[in-house]
Amino acid sequence: MSASKTTGGKAIDILRNLPRISLANLRPNPGARKTERRRGRGAHGGNKSGRGHKGERQRGNRPRLGFEGGQTPFYLAIPKYGYNEGHSLRPQYQPLSLRRLQYLIDLGRVDTSQPIDLTQLVNGRGVTVQPLKRDYGVHLVEEGADIFSAKINIEVQRATEGAVAAIERNGGVITTGFYDFRSLTILCKPVPFFLSGQPIPKRMLPGEDMVRYYTGAENRGYLSDPEEVERARQELAQKYGYVLPDISKDELFHMLSMRKDCRQIFFGLAPGWVVNMAERKILKPTDEKLLRYYGS
Amino acid sequence: MAASSLGRRTAMLFGIVKTFSLQRPVLPIISRCGSLFQIATYNPKPLRLNIKDPYIPNKEKEDTPHWQKTDKFDRKLFGRYGSISGVDPVKLWPSPEKLEKLIAEEQEWQPTLEVMLQNIAAKEMEREKKVKAREKLIATNMAKMPKMIEDWRRETRALKMKKREEKARKERLVAEARERFGYALDPRSPKFQEMVQEIEKEEKKKKKLLKSRMKQGDTAPAAPRT
Repeated sequence: MSASKTTGGKAIDILRNLPRISLANLRPNPGARKTERRRGRGAHGGNKSGRGHKGERQRGNRPRLGFEGGQTPFYLAIPKYGYNEGHSLRPQYQPLSLRRLQYLIDLGRVDTSQPIDLTQLVNGRGVTVQPLKRDYGVHLVEEGADIFSAKINIEVQRATEGAVAAIERNGGVITTGFYDFRSLTILCKPVPFFLSGQPIPKRMLPGEDMVRYYTGAENRGYLSDPEEVERARQELAQKYGYVLPDISKDELFHMLSMRKDCRQIFFGLAPGWVVNMAERKILKPTDEKLLRYYGS
Repeated sequence: MAASSLGRRTAMLFGIVKTFSLQRPVLPIISRCGSLFQIATYNPKPLRLNIKDPYIPNKEKEDTPHWQKTDKFDRKLFGRYGSISGVDPVKLWPSPEKLEKLIAEEQEWQPTLEVMLQNIAAKEMEREKKVKAREKLIATNMAKMPKMIEDWRRETRALKMKKREEKARKERLVAEARERFGYALDPRSPKFQEMVQEIEKEEKKKKKLLKSRMKQGDTAPAAPRT
């Protein structure tokens, strides 16, 4: 774009007088498109057509990948060891750095005025969680803790101590919650679940190996004692050397204190309800046995 | 704050909403302090529920595949079309029999939090007990160690002394044999062994004499003194 008005004016006049742009008038910039070398079409694409001279290479009879001419190949010479044994039973967590979270918040892909959940992160395409690949959720990591500055109410599945400190330092709230496979799939993709017409299931409790993690106050587990959590917050503030802001005096206190029940998957929706997308209605059961089952 | 950094491409990808709009499904925000934050609403894939022209299978016909007459398919129909699908909403929830089964399964396979905590505590106690028992055993054995070391040292010393004495005795016997017979006699030969037996007999006699002398010596000096 030129600074002076006169040259700009001339250009547009010229443009007005030129013929209509069509395929006949267009041409790519020189050097933009390079013609590909087609094999078997004479000169340097032809002759042996890039196959080499005689032998297995030219005749397409090379042995399988990994074969070393008869020498015991690398993949057989190395002895087996159970590095990957039971890998399909090991829970995995998709890492989410505070840097990425700040990036998402800055671009507005994640709304900080509402509690941040895995659903919100997936909707904002911040993380990709694959429950079928043994993913159990999202792990909050403190990479970028020094630049993180957002007051949020976030719920993840695992969090490091530094990440917890960084969030609480900015006056936010962090909770760790467990989602079993079915609940996690529903949480990540709520719309296909609602279209299937099933009632929202109860979230299952964690297995014995994870109960300890989620009942611990240091991890801000969703099954832990609130008083212990308060104490842990104070201790963490002391450890990391920041003043713990008082959340109760915050204007967003109501939002920050929103927490899910241990059997609840979505905020505002209880287990047992059926959400109908076509008519935008929620159907709730009235049978007492069902209510007892879904309420337990 | 984000507006300046957003390029035009991002603006086209996400529809930027600057004001509070009620039509959009995603909630925009207005911070209390007054300044407007931009949030990115994304265009989700259109939910083509096809309500105008739904396919609702005829249950009575034999042509319809069996899977279109199942409960699961009915739930999916309801989920897609709502009440116009003609599905009784009661079928969406588990039937009483199914519910009983679910409850039984839950009782069996999903223990409550208290039970789990108890199990964990019990396991922890077991482990602690084992560790403590092992440590106790180690402590008691370590307490015994000095005495055992002393004993062992004493025994080894005794053994060594014995060996040395044996060797010395053998040397002496060989020397004795050498003196008696005048040539280096093999210890394994019968002559040598006869000689050894003779020496032993003489030793025994000497001992006996000594003993009797000791006894006499005990009593005798008492008498001459007086």
